[in-house]
Amino acid sequence: MVTPGASGAFGDRQSTESRLIGLRVISLVLFVFLAGSFWVLQVLQYSEHLERAKRNHTRTLPLLAPRGVLFDRHGEVLVQNRRSFRIAIVREQATDVPASIRRLAAITHADEAQMLAIVQRRKSDPIFRPIAVIDHATDAQVAAVVAQQLELPEIVVEQVPTRTYPVGGLAAHLFGYVGEVQPAQLVRTEFAGLSQGAIVGQAGVEQVYNTQLMGTDGNRFVNVDSRGREVEELQRQDPVDGQRVQLTIDADMQRALEDAFRADGYNGAAAFIDPASGEVLALTSLPAYDPNDFAAGISSSVWQALNADPLRPLGNRLIQGLYMPGSTFKIVMAIAALEEGIITPDSVIGCRGSGVFYGRSFKCWNTKGHGAMTLRHALEQSCNVFFYTLGERMNIDTINKWATKLGLLGKTGIDLPQENASFMPSTEWAARTRSDGRWYPGETISVAIGQGAVSVSPMAMAMMMATVGNGGTLQTPHLVKAVDRGKGKGWEPVPGPGPRSTFAMRPNNLAAVREGLWMAVNTPRGTATARGKIEGKDVSGKTGTAQVISNDNKAAAQAAARAAGRNPAIFDDHGWFVFFAPRDKPEVAGVVFTEHSEHGYLSAPIAKHVMETYFAKKEGRPLPVYHSPAAPGGGR
Amino acid sequence: MERRLWQHLDWPLLLAVMALTCVGLATIYSVTWNLATGAPGGEFWRQVYAVPVGLVALIACLVVDYRTLAQRSPLFYVAMILALVAVMAFGVEAKGSRRWVNLGVGSLQPSEFARLALALVLAMVYGDARRRARSMGELMVGALVLAPAFILIFLQPDLGTASMLLPVYFGIAYMAGLRMRWVVGAVVVAALLSPVVWAYGLQDYQKGRVMTFLDPYKDPKGAGYQQIQARVTVGSGGMLGKGFKQGTQGAYRFLPESHNDFVFAVLAEEQGFVGVITVLGLYLFVIWRSLEAARLARDRVGAFLVVGLVSWFLCQVVYNITMQAGLVPVKGLTLPLMSYGGSSLVATLGGFGLILNVRMRRFTN
Repeated sequence: MVTPGASGAFGDRQSTESRLIGLRVISLVLFVFLAGSFWVLQVLQYSEHLERAKRNHTRTLPLLAPRGVLFDRHGEVLVQNRRSFRIAIVREQATDVPASIRRLAAITHADEAQMLAIVQRRKSDPIFRPIAVIDHATDAQVAAVVAQQLELPEIVVEQVPTRTYPVGGLAAHLFGYVGEVQPAQLVRTEFAGLSQGAIVGQAGVEQVYNTQLMGTDGNRFVNVDSRGREVEELQRQDPVDGQRVQLTIDADMQRALEDAFRADGYNGAAAFIDPASGEVLALTSLPAYDPNDFAAGISSSVWQALNADPLRPLGNRLIQGLYMPGSTFKIVMAIAALEEGIITPDSVIGCRGSGVFYGRSFKCWNTKGHGAMTLRHALEQSCNVFFYTLGERMNIDTINKWATKLGLLGKTGIDLPQENASFMPSTEWAARTRSDGRWYPGETISVAIGQGAVSVSPMAMAMMMATVGNGGTLQTPHLVKAVDRGKGKGWEPVPGPGPRSTFAMRPNNLAAVREGLWMAVNTPRGTATARGKIEGKDVSGKTGTAQVISNDNKAAAQAAARAAGRNPAIFDDHGWFVFFAPRDKPEVAGVVFTEHSEHGYLSAPIAKHVMETYFAKKEGRPLPVYHSPAAPGGGR
Repeated sequence: MERRLWQHLDWPLLLAVMALTCVGLATIYSVTWNLATGAPGGEFWRQVYAVPVGLVALIACLVVDYRTLAQRSPLFYVAMILALVAVMAFGVEAKGSRRWVNLGVGSLQPSEFARLALALVLAMVYGDARRRARSMGELMVGALVLAPAFILIFLQPDLGTASMLLPVYFGIAYMAGLRMRWVVGAVVVAALLSPVVWAYGLQDYQKGRVMTFLDPYKDPKGAGYQQIQARVTVGSGGMLGKGFKQGTQGAYRFLPESHNDFVFAVLAEEQGFVGVITVLGLYLFVIWRSLEAARLARDRVGAFLVVGLVSWFLCQVVYNITMQAGLVPVKGLTLPLMSYGGSSLVATLGGFGLILNVRMRRFTN
């Protein structure tokens, strides 16, 4: 008989007790093992797992900084930004990237192969970084993606600020354009820290001042769920806008300049400078492109068309084109001869329509001859024989020296990319480059009227006139007046880069040259009279033509072009007009260069219109409207 | 029920069980918290409603002497088999298996209750009849009792829940004197046979599953996903955890089934190693305290009943928690007391009602 009690009431007590202890031991061992496992996971491997968990649920979404707004010198907005959308894929979220792209292509009607190529090109990017596959998405594309967001958590829509430029490609070569940074560019220090797909300036001011204009992108750190839906924003690092930049450009003069060019139907280049400071008031090069095409992600067809265009609209003629200066070079000859003491303002030289120098006859454009004249009248009427004579009395190195002082050798140093250096020959140059090493004095006679081995950019010509205008200081042209670095500091003036060189022209010499240039524009016999004259403003200037081909060969070349079905006008001379105003205290100086216009005086109306705009604006009068002197289809 | 019986109720065990239930509720509250609505998910409230039902089950299993229940156990067993057959016939299909019957007010998962009936029957078979489990024939008697329930649940198909009937059987057989030599022998044979099974017995997809378990990073977005995310969830909790409602892995659904099979991982994420140790300690306390009830039981039926239930509890808790650490393949097994699931909670609380019943009546005749 077993007794009931606390110790249990059945047999096999010993066995039962030991087996229960066995269960206790087993459970204890298992739990100790579990605790150890969690110790390893949670304590020893903590940081590794925490990192993975964070990567799971946090997304870093870029907040793109708008580029700095560009203003004109009076505060008018020239270039700003608008909002547009782009569609990107986050590969970290995609199980099958090609399948995701295929679905995206199906709902947006975008090119699948092209999107795959973009992803392929960026395959070395970090896997969490969104890759934009559709730039500048249409509203319909954005709506399609948003509607399918649950099925496509790996596809994100990003807001991107996009550059907007004035309509019609105004000042295209000034602003330049923006585009994705190229892989080859990423190694440059100026692009350090940028990632592929970043938008940077690729031409013009956008390129040169890219660092200031770019700003710093911000980020949003958000929690997303396993389907990629944003749950909450954890932190936001706001983007810092690019610095606002105030250009030296006057928007009204810029518009006047391009209006006039277009009304006349010319291609070419022009610059208007404040001679005292070197600030550029307006500049152009035509034909041009529309920077807005680039801002919206340029299509390959537009890009190819721009590159294939024989007129080379992507090239900036103002600083890259090199041309013979023609008669405008007579200003350099005049200053050189006066300052070297070869002549005085009152020296008289006779013109009988031609002259024999170094055994060869050189013609004046006026075959009847200009008669005896001083420098003033020689500049007024652009007498070739007068300047041939100066060329005979000076060697090429002296001319080179003065051309250099006036900025016609080397680069002007303007803050635009890819400027070409202007060129003036010298005996040193001949010795270095020619097989016989010689410079022939007869060549100097051609150089004296700006022909032969002289090639200068229109910008260099503008600086030459600015230097004559300010009496001998060769300024460096520049485009930026002030920047606003943000943080509420407001506009900070940007000092100019300073003069490249300076010399003090003797006052009576300077007065004589200015007088001659004034007469060229203001007297009945002047070469630019009635084309460039502004009543009361004493516009002073000089015309010139740049030969595309020598006169001897021109007729034959044009006939050949006609026979080949090409426009013979491509062999027509270019027209120069260089100028400053007012004569005694110039406020504006510059150049207008019209391609194939044949006559320098045909450039003058454009310069006149811009200067009239300048004076009208300064004096608070209504701005003038341009009336093209060129009859439609003719006048070249 | 006699008044003095209440004095013998094992309050510490009951409190520990209720504490684990509350920790489970809090974790479900946290992980289903909806940022948009500022409220916990519907799962939380359904689990809350299951608690009083579970307490009713616990009391129901407590008030009648366990011996009476054991004597009636063939009835319960037949009812359970009928219920499982009903599931096969009328069950609601979800995710490719039929486990639930719709009762109008809610759905019921009969397989969760099978182990209670099984434990009662086996306690009778080996305890009341003083049958030993030393010969193969003696073992087969129990196996025959086990087989119908196991097969019906296996066919749902729900291999996990079916497998969890085995500990009930082996636990009671162990108490009834199962020879440890046999156990050791079975393990050795299994180990020796495993290469043969691997080579000839497994389909390619099954081998693939094993390989994925061994190296989940082979298929990190597919089969290995849950295992990897479970480890990340647990590991990112660290020593002190991310805090209540601060977890990210479960709340943002990187870890699937986070309120259900993987509720412990969420606890580990939010309460850290400290929380893990606390809850592991509570579970171990519940197991030891229950084994104490077996030791104190006045007869073999009571002791065997308790051990059958505790064996199941121990196995499912350990398997589930090991799964959270990514150390065993992911199987659809809940964590008793803490995971979401009304039937599971009600059946588990009913089981503890039986365990309390045995201890409470240790002095009665």
